[in-house]
Amino acid sequence: MVRIVVPGILAAQAEGRKSFEVEAETVGDALRALPVADLIFNERGDLNGHLNIYLDGTDVRERGGMHCPLAGAAELRVVAMVSGG
Amino acid sequence: MALVGTRKGLFLVRSDGHPRRWQAQGPLLDGWGVYHATVDRRDGTLYAAANHVIYGPTVQRSEDSGTTWSRSKQIGLPVDSGMTLSAAWHVEPGPPERPEVLYLGAEPGALFTSRDRGETWDVNRGILEHPTRDRWFPGAGGMCCHSIQVDPRDPDCIYVGITAAGVFRSDDGGLTWRPINRNVAADFLADPHAEVGHCPHKVLLHPARPDRLWQQNHFGVYLSDDQGDTWIRVDGNGLPSGFGFPIMLDPNDAEKAFVIPEKSPEYHYSPAGKLAVYETRDSGMSWKAIDAGLPKPAWAAVLREAAASDDESLYFGTQSGSLFVLDDGERWVEAVRHLPPILSVEVTTWSE
Repeated sequence: MVRIVVPGILAAQAEGRKSFEVEAETVGDALRALPVADLIFNERGDLNGHLNIYLDGTDVRERGGMHCPLAGAAELRVVAMVSGG
Repeated sequence: MALVGTRKGLFLVRSDGHPRRWQAQGPLLDGWGVYHATVDRRDGTLYAAANHVIYGPTVQRSEDSGTTWSRSKQIGLPVDSGMTLSAAWHVEPGPPERPEVLYLGAEPGALFTSRDRGETWDVNRGILEHPTRDRWFPGAGGMCCHSIQVDPRDPDCIYVGITAAGVFRSDDGGLTWRPINRNVAADFLADPHAEVGHCPHKVLLHPARPDRLWQQNHFGVYLSDDQGDTWIRVDGNGLPSGFGFPIMLDPNDAEKAFVIPEKSPEYHYSPAGKLAVYETRDSGMSWKAIDAGLPKPAWAAVLREAAASDDESLYFGTQSGSLFVLDDGERWVEAVRHLPPILSVEVTTWSE
C-alpha cells in the first residue's frame, strides 16, 4: 500500500481529497488508479509534462519512471513543476 | 447574469436589477483557465471549457448553479491521428430536438460531439481527417475551433470556425464538411483565393435569419446571406480597423452587429487608445462608435469569446479584468473590475 499525495488543484478535482492509499505494483499503476488520473496523463497515457513524481523523495525518472516498482515504498508525491502563469 | 471566464477561474456576475449594481461570485473552478462557459438553456446545466497549463484540457459541468462540478470523462484525440488535445475552447449546446447533444470546439482544430449531456465526447472524424487539414496552421492562440453554430431550422446544418483553417459547413449532421471562405481575405497566404487557411476570429449565425452569418475575421468584418457560400466585406464603411476578435448580434434585428476594433494584427489593442464598441444598424453599410462611459484613453484587448449580447444589452470583458455592460443602449457601466484577465463572457437569464 502506498500513500499518494496530490497538489491542491488536483485535490479540488477529487472532492477535496489530498491523499489516497493505493495498492499497486508500479508508480504508473498507482497513479492510474486515482480519480484524477485523466489530469495526470494525457489521452495517450503519457505523463503531463509539467509534473514531477517523487517516490519517497526520489524523482521517479531516476528509477524507471512509470515502471518503477512500489515494493517497500511508503509515499508517492505528485508535484507541479515551477511553471504556469 | 453574466458568466465571466477568466485565466484563473469562473465568475458569476449578477445584477440586482439596478444597472450599476453588479456582484461577482467566484472564482469557481479556481485556478482553471475558463476559455468559455455557457448555460444549456434546455436543462439549466452549466458547462465550462476549462484548461490548466499543468493538468490539460477539460469540460466541467455543474447542475447546481456552479456549487459543485464534475469533469467529463477524459477527452482526447485518437492515437491514429498522431495528435493530442491541447485545449478545450467552446461548448455549444445542441438543438432543442436533440436534448442530449452538445458540441465542443477544441485545439488542434478539433470538433467533438457529446450524445450524453457532456459525460463523454466523440471526435468528429470529418473535421479531424478533413482533406484540407495539411493546409491549416495555428494562429497566435493555437489552432482552435472556436465557433460552432447550428441552423435552428435544420439540426444537420452545422457551421464551425477554425483558426487558421476557415469556416466550414456540414449539411449532413457533421459527416462531411465543406470550406466556405469565398471572398474572405487571407493576406498572409500566397494565394489570396485559397480554399482554406483563413483566420475567422468569431462566426455567428443570426437566429432570426439563419441564412445570415456574421464573421469577425483576422482581415475584416464579413456577412453572408447565403449560408456562408459567399461573403461580403463590410468593415470599410467607418470602422477604424477591420481587425478585432469578438462580434455580437442583436437577436431581434439581423441588420445589427457590434464589433470591438483593435489596431491591426500586429498590435492587438484599441486603435489610437480609443476603446469603443462599433454598431451597425444597416448590415455594415455604416458603423457608429458606442464609447460613452468607457475609459479614455485605453489600450484594451478583448478576446474572441469575451463579448456577448442578449435582448437587453451588450457585455464585454478585457484582459485587464474589467466587465463592461451597456446601460440603456447608450452608456457603458464598468460592472466589475480587477478580475483576472477575462477570456470569455456569456449572458443568460437564469432562474435558480
